[in-house]
Amino acid sequence: MIGKVLVYIYFTTALLSCISFFLTHLGKEKFLKFGRIFYHLTAAGILATAAYMMYLILTHQFQFAYIWEQSNTELQLPLLMSTFYSGQEGSFMLWLTMTAIIGIFLLNYVSKGDRLEAQVMCIFSLIVAFLSFILILKSPFLYVWEKFAGDVEVGFVPQEGRGLNPLLQNFWITIHPPTLFLGFSSLAAPFCFAIGTLMKNRYNDWIKFSMPWLLFSGMILGLGIMMGGYWAYGVLGWGGYWAWDPVENSSLIPWLVIVAAIHTMIAQKRTGGYKKTNLLLCISAYLLVLYSTFLTRSGILGDSSVHSFVDPGYEVYLSLIIFISLFTLISITAIFYRFKELKALNAETNKMLSRESTLFIGSITLCAAALVIFAGTTWPIFQKGTIDQEFYNRMNLPIAILIALINGISLLLKWKQNDERSFFKSILFPLTLAFIVTVGLVFVGVQDFLIALFALASLFTFFVNAELAVNAFRKKKSSIGAYVAHIGIALVFLGIIASSKYSREENLSLELNRPQSAFGYTLTYMGATPFQDPDNKTDTKYHFNVKVEKDDKEMILKPVMYYSEYSKGLMKNPDIANFVTKDFYLSPMGLVEPELFSEDELMELKKGEEKKIGNVSVMFNDFDFGNIDQGGKEIQSGNYTIGAIIKVKDSKYTETLEPKIKYTEGNPEYLVAKITNNDTYNFYFVKMAVKGEDQGGPTATIAVVNNKNASLTPKADETLVLTASVKPFINVLWTGTVVLVLGFFISILKRRRELKR
Amino acid sequence: MSKKAKTILGILIIVVFLAIGFMSFMDSKIEYVNFAEAKERMRTVEVKGQWVKGKESKFDGSTNTFTFYMVDDFNNEMKVVLDGAKPNNFDVAEAVVAKGKMKGDHFHAKDVLTKCPSKYEADGKEIQNNTGK
Repeated sequence: MIGKVLVYIYFTTALLSCISFFLTHLGKEKFLKFGRIFYHLTAAGILATAAYMMYLILTHQFQFAYIWEQSNTELQLPLLMSTFYSGQEGSFMLWLTMTAIIGIFLLNYVSKGDRLEAQVMCIFSLIVAFLSFILILKSPFLYVWEKFAGDVEVGFVPQEGRGLNPLLQNFWITIHPPTLFLGFSSLAAPFCFAIGTLMKNRYNDWIKFSMPWLLFSGMILGLGIMMGGYWAYGVLGWGGYWAWDPVENSSLIPWLVIVAAIHTMIAQKRTGGYKKTNLLLCISAYLLVLYSTFLTRSGILGDSSVHSFVDPGYEVYLSLIIFISLFTLISITAIFYRFKELKALNAETNKMLSRESTLFIGSITLCAAALVIFAGTTWPIFQKGTIDQEFYNRMNLPIAILIALINGISLLLKWKQNDERSFFKSILFPLTLAFIVTVGLVFVGVQDFLIALFALASLFTFFVNAELAVNAFRKKKSSIGAYVAHIGIALVFLGIIASSKYSREENLSLELNRPQSAFGYTLTYMGATPFQDPDNKTDTKYHFNVKVEKDDKEMILKPVMYYSEYSKGLMKNPDIANFVTKDFYLSPMGLVEPELFSEDELMELKKGEEKKIGNVSVMFNDFDFGNIDQGGKEIQSGNYTIGAIIKVKDSKYTETLEPKIKYTEGNPEYLVAKITNNDTYNFYFVKMAVKGEDQGGPTATIAVVNNKNASLTPKADETLVLTASVKPFINVLWTGTVVLVLGFFISILKRRRELKR
Repeated sequence: MSKKAKTILGILIIVVFLAIGFMSFMDSKIEYVNFAEAKERMRTVEVKGQWVKGKESKFDGSTNTFTFYMVDDFNNEMKVVLDGAKPNNFDVAEAVVAKGKMKGDHFHAKDVLTKCPSKYEADGKEIQNNTGK
């Protein structure tokens, strides 16, 4: 009850807050106070709801359909807490909660000084209202008897929940979704600043207010995206960290636009230009977040992604469309409303060879990348099918080369005007250095022209930024952030080149205890050992121990496979040996269990049917269930014996035999039967197949083994099938990501300090 | 450079970019077809259908392929050879999507996606099995 009532309350207060701020914007200053109060009430209501929901989850209140669907009593605390957002309803709740929290900080921020408070908070409250509206339609607080009306009676409390999807059961779910949603939520702030400034008709200072928020979104979203990549790589065993999947793409698109906006905003700050560009970029970044949510939440891409989407129902689909349309409409209206003023804004011509011009070209290039990914990701909406990953790789490679080059060049140029000679002088050293290293790389094996060019461009920007960073560290420490971030992205580029283009992969079948070599390593499958996962007591997981040896050093890698009761299928997790210069990656594919009988020893017989193997013919008469009840509790328990009555003829004798299968806890043991005067042949009853009369009735599978020594031994040892791969320098990619995030962080500190001045 | 020249250059670059993008895009489209259409097309396509559970399916460790039979939505049956092991959730998938191309008598799949709408969403039957307290 509480959850359902609260949502109507905070939906209402959010709307009231929006209206109050709008009235303040129109000049009725006395409403400002109400706007603030209503916003705080809204945020308090949302936080209370989130806390209440978390309480229900922690206390296992399975009468709530969402909690029954997502969690169970086995989950340990971290995973139990992450069921808050593992489902549709909960992830909208997380988004709303994050947005509400961001709003508290934003309100505090804009209420200091003349920072467009009324306008920004008016739009922000409207966003909160809309997210609340989705939660009215898709409430996580439905009781099971409401959601499954007719199936269960009112007041029904399930004893145990369904549990968390095993694909999600690992460390990354505790931080990856919250990080992404924090990125999405914080991006609302730059959007509100852009619309707010259009409302206010004042185009100079909003970028200053907006910048720290934009940098924050860029940092968090970038971190979230790479966390997703690491999750896919290290746990899900996709083999790589990036698959151009719609879910990944749809958060990368706004990130690229954010990065573009950051750069043209810096240009505006220095030169006063690009005012319109910046408005457009900040607005489209958030609209793209909404679009991303639409793509991934509406079920519209259900057929074209490896992620499984759930059809959320017509209401959510429609409300998401309304959400996007409304905010797009608000943006377009605001722009048209101020069209004259915007047109009158500066149109001073910049010199081609100036930092602002190159920054602008760089931003356009980033937007081109966003456009390519947008087109590919959107396509399945118009026509069933997908776009080959190659499209993204082929299109983005030249774009990435340009981005790296432009980045290096822009930093060597000065604002507004340039002495060409000093520019060419400054470019010489980093370019030469990059060239030398690239030549080295070509000798090592980087022989694809575009890839070599990409390496050259990345190294160039790396050296340019490294030099600038060192200088900045000596003189002006606060400005080091940008250079650090650029070094990060250069490392990411280099890591991508090495790990994707030059990774090697081989499929191996490892027989038990028989060493095999791959990529200079000796691999030996040592057998499987079961282990218990504290979060999942239902399934027994197995480590498949593989000894990896090279030059007297050895280690054991333990990829995991298990049968999941929840997914009714085999689940696989890779294991990785992390070296400084490479990752050695083992991704399990399956276990081939040994066969006791070869194919030509087996025959499947219907009742009364007769078949011949070699000199022996076998006719199957009937099953012998003894005194056990067919389908009764003996069979359920897995401890029982059944026999097959067969008539056997060899060249001399005819005899009726009864080979049996003895099951102990479901494991079969085949009891041999022999002809009295001929011990050459062993007869086994291998399988009973219950088929309907339309399929010819039940059958028995009988094995005839021509071997005097009647001991049954497997034809081979069990074999572990896996994909082994070497990913060179993938550490460079992860290091680059961390450096990039660090650079963003330093820049945020710098921009915040600037504001206080 | 004059402003006019800059604009022309800009437009030119955009047009070239869009043209390359469009051509590359048309090359990379992977269509959704049935097996009859897949036979006519030489390129990579996607076929949606069901796994024929009655027929043999097995993993071959020596070639590292998983072979199974699949029937598309127009009832064309086809042998599918997948590079790799049996996909996750294959047994419970209500539909599978095979991506690849025809190769002689069989469809050679590079990838098989499984569609399990019931995976995240529970239904009424499941909750009835939960004894109340």
